[in-house]
Amino acid sequence: MAIITISRGSYSKGKEVAEKVASHLGYKCISREVLLDASEHFNIPEMKLVRAIHDAPSILDRFSRTRQAFFAYIRYALAQHVKEDNLVYHGLAGHLLLKGIPNVLKVRVIADLADRIRAEMKRERISEEAARSLLLKDDEERRKWTQSLYGVDPQDSSLYDLVVHVHKLTVDDAVEIISDTAQRTPFKTTKQVRQKMEDYGLACQLKAGLADSFDNVGVKSEYGSILVYAKGNDHYVQRVRKRATEVTGRMSGVNELEVHAVRKLPLDVV
Amino acid sequence: METLTPQMILVMVMIGIAVFLFIVEWVRVDVVAILMMVSLPLLDLVTPKEAFIGMSSNAVISIIAVIIIGAGLDKTGLINRLVGPILRVAGAGKSRVVIAISVTVAGISSFMQNIGAAALFLPAIQRISKSTKIPLSQLLMPIGFSAILGGTITLVGSSPLILLNDLLEPFGLKPFGLFDVTPIGLALLAGGLACFVLLGRFILPKGSMEPDEGASQSPLENTLAEMGETYEIQTPVNYTDYREPVLVDDLKRRYLVNVLAMTEPPDFKVLSPTGDQEVRSDVHLLVYGRKKDVQRMVEVEEMQLKESPEVFKGETEESTSGAVEAVVAPRSSLIGKTLREINLQDRFQVTPLAIYRGEEAYRAEIGDVPLAVGDAVLIHGEWPRLQVLQHEKSLLFTTPIDVELLRPEKAIFAGFWLAVALSMILLFNIQLSVGLMTGALGMIITRVLSIDEAYQSVDWRTIFLLAGLIPLGIATEKTGTAAWIAHTILNVIGDVQPIVLLTIIGVLSTIFTLVISNVGATVLLVPLVVNMAIAAHTDPRMAALVVGLATSNSFILPTHQVNALYMGPGRYRSVDFMKTGLVISIVFIVVMIGMIKLIYGV
Repeated sequence: MAIITISRGSYSKGKEVAEKVASHLGYKCISREVLLDASEHFNIPEMKLVRAIHDAPSILDRFSRTRQAFFAYIRYALAQHVKEDNLVYHGLAGHLLLKGIPNVLKVRVIADLADRIRAEMKRERISEEAARSLLLKDDEERRKWTQSLYGVDPQDSSLYDLVVHVHKLTVDDAVEIISDTAQRTPFKTTKQVRQKMEDYGLACQLKAGLADSFDNVGVKSEYGSILVYAKGNDHYVQRVRKRATEVTGRMSGVNELEVHAVRKLPLDVV
Repeated sequence: METLTPQMILVMVMIGIAVFLFIVEWVRVDVVAILMMVSLPLLDLVTPKEAFIGMSSNAVISIIAVIIIGAGLDKTGLINRLVGPILRVAGAGKSRVVIAISVTVAGISSFMQNIGAAALFLPAIQRISKSTKIPLSQLLMPIGFSAILGGTITLVGSSPLILLNDLLEPFGLKPFGLFDVTPIGLALLAGGLACFVLLGRFILPKGSMEPDEGASQSPLENTLAEMGETYEIQTPVNYTDYREPVLVDDLKRRYLVNVLAMTEPPDFKVLSPTGDQEVRSDVHLLVYGRKKDVQRMVEVEEMQLKESPEVFKGETEESTSGAVEAVVAPRSSLIGKTLREINLQDRFQVTPLAIYRGEEAYRAEIGDVPLAVGDAVLIHGEWPRLQVLQHEKSLLFTTPIDVELLRPEKAIFAGFWLAVALSMILLFNIQLSVGLMTGALGMIITRVLSIDEAYQSVDWRTIFLLAGLIPLGIATEKTGTAAWIAHTILNVIGDVQPIVLLTIIGVLSTIFTLVISNVGATVLLVPLVVNMAIAAHTDPRMAALVVGLATSNSFILPTHQVNALYMGPGRYRSVDFMKTGLVISIVFIVVMIGMIKLIYGV
């Protein structure tokens, strides 16, 4: 009865750990599925979504609405899975995407650089030199990406509940430790937590509906009372209000909608 | 023609800075005025004595006295008493009601501050709207405009006119008498009212023409219907046993239900609990909200809804508590602050329920919304506590609080001293400031209001705005800047008839008063136009009079305090002011010039 996010670098055995944890606990294990769902639901090629979330943004991208919109779509797709509970997600930045949901067990699986290089050399049939530079580049890209979207470093261990180094500990050890932790009290899905998941789903859904036209908006929901924050002039806020009313009209579980104009978007919004 | 000296350039730069700051409002207008008061002597454009001479000017003293007299009239409830008879005279027709109230407001506005008259009448107008079923939006604009127009009826009616004689003094021109402007002012008022009566259906906001759409109800009634009512709720004995702590704020965020009061074991009652107080087991809550929201909360939180208040029976009676709508006043200290910062709960033990801005209602997380002029805040509390809040003056209550601390027995004294002040000025030709201050002093001595109340009623922002801008006028005049600009403008427009010149001045003053304050416009323009008039062989007194009057021609934008005040309760948009205001402004200039020609034969 929990949600586990596993953050990993490439060739860190994170995927293996994730899959084994899922099968051990009988949970669903997803990663790329989220992208596929988003791609299907919003009719956007998967490649574009991948690029939006994988590559570090360029200066231009920072102002681009498309990237933000894609991001909102992915988050929406993830939120739909989260609502079903009992989930292991080992895709990108799950621990950050699911900010605000209390029962998420955030795990980072790391491996020795030497082990990773060996694995990469074997699979891609490249030299050690090439494998090393590829891996370091990949790590750097991911760092920049999380930095730019969330202002945090993915290697900062304080972001996680648990960091498991697969080296002396085997994959099976890691699976055992993670599965054991996931069954502890803080990660139980209570009634309150379920409500938060519902609210998170609503907020993500509305945000996804707004993201293609508006970038300076934040959404939050509490017990179906949705509050949209919009940063812009009166006209902009009016447009946001109009669109939000349309979108929520098609959603179920919404009790209230209000749109507030703000000078700065609050931090705890989707 | 004189050459441009460095000093003149400096003065123009200072005027430019002042106008710029007036428009962008990085600091408040009165602070700009103080900035001028200090920087002009530092730049050696005026002497230190001249810099502060505004403080002791006839105008400033007169305004202080007028404000005190107005407060005295307010305290005795004299004005509220006028409303009943007015309505009886007016009958039921919409035009007649509008004319009757407008004329009364204009009459009051002619001897006290416009904003004061407008604010005093707001509660009464709302009552009238309700009882006569005339939409508020159809009443407020004509009446608000009449309050502004009424300011032109006497020389003490509006700040620009009070200032006028002071500004004429350096030129050695004959000052105007108290009622010299009255024929023009009455004509302006008649012109404005004629517009509303004849063209009202075309120029007043159309959206509220249908009285059936609930528009005939006062905003508060609409608000209350939307907001719901009070309910008493009990939490189960084991409420906190099996759930995370629920705070008062949580209920508000989740269900938009406001907790007005809460019992606390053993038998305390907490009124207007703050957001961080926990809802405990087996306590009674008095909440305010819409029925469907309250029902949803009771269901989800597994609480028990009482059919009628039991524990809070006393608190819910209409005689002890209720909800009022209060508007954020122009230049209120609350502008830009959030309700969380103002902290009404702790300071006054009242609960803000909603914020109304234009057509939008904010109910969720209203603690974080920065307040703006004209925002209406719905507040619930016990009457005495609401009264304390009302006396703080930062919010204007648009709903009358039934138990007002009035001194009706002093009404006769208030009326007497007003008459004394006016007759001193009129019959004995005593200077304006002396006459008015005598009246104010009389009211204080006869205990119409206490000296402390008199001090509190004085709006220091107005005083410093006036006093601070006077040296700017002096500098403009002394350095010859006014003369230079006047000549330059005259060269551009060429040789014109006096009547054309006065019209140009009228239009110029109107534009200035819309973007900067009426006082600022008057101080800047009077020295200028007097010089223009002298150069063009037109009567300089008439030119100054045009400025003094036309700076009240502020209808196109809701920048005038009265318009800003009525915008919220009337649910007007800026475009409403542009449409209606444009018509009234044009009529204003035509009537003013016509009357000046008729009376003074320019």
